Amino acid sequence: MAAAQARVTPETAGNDIVARADGLTKRYAPDVTALAEVSFAVRPGEFVAVLGPSGAGKTTLFRCLTGLTRPDRGTVSIVGRDIWESPRELQLARRAVALIFQQFNLIRRLPALENVLVGRLAQVPAWRVVLRRFARGDRQLALRCLDTVGLLDRAYTRADELSGGQQQRVAIARALAQDAKVILADEPVASLDPESAATVLESLRSAVSTGVAVVASLHQVHLARAYADRIVALRGGRIVVDAPAARLDARSIEQIYERNGERNDP
Amino acid sequence: MATVVRRADDYPDPVVSWWSRRRLRFVLVLVLLTAFYSASWRLARVDPERLLTGLPKMAGWAAKAWPPATDELPVLLLRTGETIAMAAIGTTAAALLALPLCVVAARNVTPSMALYYPARWFLNALRGVDSFVFALLFVAAVGLGPFAGVLGIALHTWGSTAKLWAEAIENIPPGPLEAAAATGASRLKVIAYALVPDVAPSMVSVGLFWWEFNVRASTVLGVVGAGGIGQELKNSMDLLLFPRLLTIILLILVTVTVIDHTSEWLRRKLE
Repeated sequence: MAAAQARVTPETAGNDIVARADGLTKRYAPDVTALAEVSFAVRPGEFVAVLGPSGAGKTTLFRCLTGLTRPDRGTVSIVGRDIWESPRELQLARRAVALIFQQFNLIRRLPALENVLVGRLAQVPAWRVVLRRFARGDRQLALRCLDTVGLLDRAYTRADELSGGQQQRVAIARALAQDAKVILADEPVASLDPESAATVLESLRSAVSTGVAVVASLHQVHLARAYADRIVALRGGRIVVDAPAARLDARSIEQIYERNGERNDP
Repeated sequence: MATVVRRADDYPDPVVSWWSRRRLRFVLVLVLLTAFYSASWRLARVDPERLLTGLPKMAGWAAKAWPPATDELPVLLLRTGETIAMAAIGTTAAALLALPLCVVAARNVTPSMALYYPARWFLNALRGVDSFVFALLFVAAVGLGPFAGVLGIALHTWGSTAKLWAEAIENIPPGPLEAAAATGASRLKVIAYALVPDVAPSMVSVGLFWWEFNVRASTVLGVVGAGGIGQELKNSMDLLLFPRLLTIILLILVTVTVIDHTSEWLRRKLE
């Protein structure tokens, strides 16, 4: 066991990679190619924006990364664990991955703090969960996470009384409380107004500064350029751009969408 | 036919022919309903004449019933207490039994579909048999008295409560459960932490409704010998003790009204 761990740890530390997709291919009958040979790797403290028009394969990519959809070919490894090796590996890998949803998915009747504590569920003994008696350390961690996203003063406000942007920031705090290495966010700001979207992306940005990796699919190119370190663009299930955000100008990104439009026209 | 052709010339629209089909269906439904009600009328042997001759008899009883008898009030109050107790114990036992089963019988949280269907069948069977019928069986099995009523209420309410709870669980948005499960937490933790706060208010509301319903139902359980005020009601009717009957009916009215209002007040406080 120790030997196995000794082998795994230097490998992940050496490559410094928290999430890796290798040759992901997924086809849906009869002839829709959702993903074709998609490979990329994410390092700690990196904010990767995934861009692409509707139907480019973004959602399939996120479903494969989280183990919700099994790819036809290819592997996904999270913190060095191959998630398709066994259900146990998937379960352990999931603890290192936090998900952010477009619809926030908070428990409406619980205050923000108790929603953040959802991130601790996997670690806390079952009796504490059933009785809702979390250890002081867990509660303080949750408060710190709320502070990180700027909502400490809302800790005891019910989730359904918060604005959309605030709810999404609570969801980010929940991801932080999970102590995840990677945050996967499928369209995290698609249902928010521009101002809320900016505060949510800033919260994700501050998570990145603590060493967490973020992979987020976004609709708006200018948001990707403003907040992401790296942009991965999908088109027709293939990666067509994978480059540092700073090296891409707005026009070259917009071509991802234009070319796709031309292709669909005839 | 000619009408259809001319109208189709004006409005070349297939809706026109659909309308006549619809009218045909309407006439068919009307015929079936008429047949159903005339058959029901005969099967139920509805006879307004008998009602007219019976009404003066009832008026005579009403005149004889006043003033209500008070000499046996302590016994009748005890029987009323029995009725409330039967409903309380029966409903609570049913709720405790329904808790695990409603999770199994809710499609979105059931541990396995192999358990889901048997659970649903079982609950439907319990729900299909009225507490009155169960009480009848239990009087034969465990003897006369309120305990038979408790068992009858518990079994029927078990099925009904679990089914309504399962439906409440199935109606909650799946997102928060998915989010909790995605952290790697076990099913038990997800249910206890993310599901319970969402469904608890409607579950308590359903429980209160059944308690209230069972107080009303158990007023008549005594008729089959399952204890409570119903037994005194039947005795008084059999012996034509109208003042005593009036006292019992007034006691039932007061009890049911108080319970209804308490339950309604509690349910309002939950929202």
